Amino acid sequence: MRLLVLALRRCLWMPPTLLGLTLIVFTVSHIIPADPARVLAGENAPIEQVEALRRKFGLDKPLPQQFVSYVADVVQGNMGVSLYTQRPVADDLVERLPATFELALFAMGLAILLGLPLGVVSALMRNSVLDHAVRLVTIAGLATAAFWLAILLQLLFSMELNLTPVQGRIDGWGPDPITGFYTVDALIRGDVDTFFSALRYLALPMMTLAIPAMATIVRFTRAGVLNVMSSNFVFYQAAMGLPRRVVIWKYILRSALIGTLTQIGLVFGNLLAGAVVVETVYSWPGLGTYAYNSILQSDYNAIMGFTLFTGSVFIAMNLLVDIAQAVLDPRGR
Amino acid sequence: MTHASGPSISRRSLVAGTAAFGLASAWEQQAQAAGRTRYVTANNNPYDILDPHQVFDIGRIAIRLNMYDALVRWVDNPPKLEMWLAEKVDISADGLTYTFTLRPNIKFHDGSALTAEDVVYSMERILGLKKGAYGLFSDVVKPGTTKALNERTVQFNLNKPFAVFMAVLSELWVVNSKVVKSKQKENDWGAEWLTRNEAGSGGYKLKRFDPAIGFQVERNTAHFMPFGKGAIDDADFRVSMETATRVLGMIKGEFNTTDGYMPAEQVERMKASGNVWFKEAESIRTFYFIMNHSKTPMNDVNIRRALCCMFDYDGFNNNILGGTVVRNPGIIPNPMWGAPKDLKGYSYDIDKAKWYLSQVREKIRTIQIGAMAGYPQSEQAAQMLQAGAAKAGLDIKVVAEPYTTIAPKLDDPDRAHDLVPLWRSAYFADPHNWTGFIFNSKNFKAGNASFYKNPRVDELTDQALVITDQEKRRPLYEEVSRILVDDAAGLFVNNTKFFGPYGKSVKSVRFCPIGDTQDIRWIEMNA
Repeated sequence: MRLLVLALRRCLWMPPTLLGLTLIVFTVSHIIPADPARVLAGENAPIEQVEALRRKFGLDKPLPQQFVSYVADVVQGNMGVSLYTQRPVADDLVERLPATFELALFAMGLAILLGLPLGVVSALMRNSVLDHAVRLVTIAGLATAAFWLAILLQLLFSMELNLTPVQGRIDGWGPDPITGFYTVDALIRGDVDTFFSALRYLALPMMTLAIPAMATIVRFTRAGVLNVMSSNFVFYQAAMGLPRRVVIWKYILRSALIGTLTQIGLVFGNLLAGAVVVETVYSWPGLGTYAYNSILQSDYNAIMGFTLFTGSVFIAMNLLVDIAQAVLDPRGR
Repeated sequence: MTHASGPSISRRSLVAGTAAFGLASAWEQQAQAAGRTRYVTANNNPYDILDPHQVFDIGRIAIRLNMYDALVRWVDNPPKLEMWLAEKVDISADGLTYTFTLRPNIKFHDGSALTAEDVVYSMERILGLKKGAYGLFSDVVKPGTTKALNERTVQFNLNKPFAVFMAVLSELWVVNSKVVKSKQKENDWGAEWLTRNEAGSGGYKLKRFDPAIGFQVERNTAHFMPFGKGAIDDADFRVSMETATRVLGMIKGEFNTTDGYMPAEQVERMKASGNVWFKEAESIRTFYFIMNHSKTPMNDVNIRRALCCMFDYDGFNNNILGGTVVRNPGIIPNPMWGAPKDLKGYSYDIDKAKWYLSQVREKIRTIQIGAMAGYPQSEQAAQMLQAGAAKAGLDIKVVAEPYTTIAPKLDDPDRAHDLVPLWRSAYFADPHNWTGFIFNSKNFKAGNASFYKNPRVDELTDQALVITDQEKRRPLYEEVSRILVDDAAGLFVNNTKFFGPYGKSVKSVRFCPIGDTQDIRWIEMNA
């Protein structure tokens, strides 16, 4: 019951949060002295052509009026039309969503798969050479700029070792979409070639996103495990003769994961934000490149749509994390 | 305390994993259809709209050049205007009527016949949409005045003589009127549909389009113009925004070509790889500083001349740009007719700059240059001028802004920067593109971003527009060039060289500065 109340309370907070986010992004994007109508019309266009475009897209109206119109449209499910693709922004986002989600989920999976065990091992072998090495790598992972890491990985794995392609999502144009996840669609069709091709193309962008995410997970897991290891119940279980691996992986980890779980939710949101740079470097056809092009072209509707969407995902992820936390920790229910 | 044992990676699983990657590489090689040549271009602009009448830029010109045809077409370098859909044209003595006869038996990609009605519709559509190349025609062609005299004859009736009309007709891309009309929704001229589809007759037809990736075409073997022996069968035009990725992709062979105006160090890097060869050609794309003549003291010719003497042309062109450009003393590119061959222009001379500054009557304030953020040459040129100005005792402030911020300021003399370094690309190969378009005072807020006004320049460029004989127009533009230099109407720096990178499988390339080899019918590949 308390879980339900928690979920409902969070859902009630979602609209005002998104409204605040919309207001901030709308204000910032519109007060920058850019003119998407002029850019759309081109440098040679006469002023009448530019003004016609401004009227067409409502850019000649006062900013508060534009904001109110935008919010009213969004509430009715209309995110407007992209100035550049001339398509509904919602359609653009839906079309590109699978590419970004596939990348983000694989990156998240890799980060958790490597990060959790490394964090535990690092805590258990505290102040050992392994512990110091892991901490050094995590600091480097957090400090490294994503675009720089991406290019380094391209140079090493693509150019030197010739293991992966430099860019793109798949060789050619990919399978006809079922889910839009190339790996999943390939498996559904039993197309092993395409499955492995998709994995090859995923490898570098996935690593670029996973490394900083893994660094965060390692650090929080390590801190959580160290904290729980000194608890009385751990001493009690060891004294009772429970096998060490059971004490660690069943009892310590469960308690230690609470903090890590919170971070995983935040990290997923950061992955979506980091995808803008990573997707651009790897020519990954997802929401990130859409956002990048929209910003360059001052495509207001597309910028707002992307922001609203990622904001919603971020909020939803954190709600899931809170629910999971409540399940793991009965004190939170 | 014992250590928990973590998972170990066996040698067998490591080998298997590596083999999976290796196996995928072999599959990638086999993926190319047997016997067909495939050409992959990496573009640094998104291909988001397929409609040829909604866009008018160089970044997406591949769409128009390959899937559509126009009455005329620019080929080769220096560019020549050739009959394309039309086989002949009759121009009335007063220059107001242009009557084109279409070639017989031209078909759209869906097999239907291309007729004069399609040409009429295409012009009406451009005028109705008010996008793309609208500005090229709006002043001289009014809606309803273009007529189909019969199935193969189309007549344009201009409201005033316009000598460059033939040149700009290269941007009147002919669409299949029946198809587009059938897709029309609420008076949108079929814009929503044509944004994601094509209705052309061009040398290549659309196979697949994804605005996130690019577009794919296959050769239209029924095209009315023959192809060369090694013509490309299939082509992918892909979006790749990051320069480093495009360069690595070229070196690795994932792309057959990319943009031909890369920074010098990237060109050297690709050359050093041994996997890339270059088509080098002097283009018609001049780099210059727009000067805002509307504000004090920039409205004083002496300060403009001083600025022209403060720029180290040799240092910039030869050292910073590594000789990838050619000094262009005027605004019209050197290879173009109308550019005086003996034009000297300004040179780097700080003493002369100081003398000009001493002649300025008004108080000299800090001059502001608006460099285009993200365009290294623009930023470097601004800094170059700032350095020279400092030696001459003039304070210059450089402000880097994205083009989307600079562009609207160019419409407003009060908000515009004092100088903006940028390129003037070749939208059509006529001196008007570099002179009347951007320096005639009638074009304030429509090309003339300098707010420059000189009655003699106006007179000469207006006169040149009503004469159709090139040899009579030539001396007019040469005089305009000299006046613009003497007036220091702008700070003219260089003409760009095209360094088109191509993979080893590309055999030959026929370069034209209009399109920069994105018109792939002129490219041949090894079988």
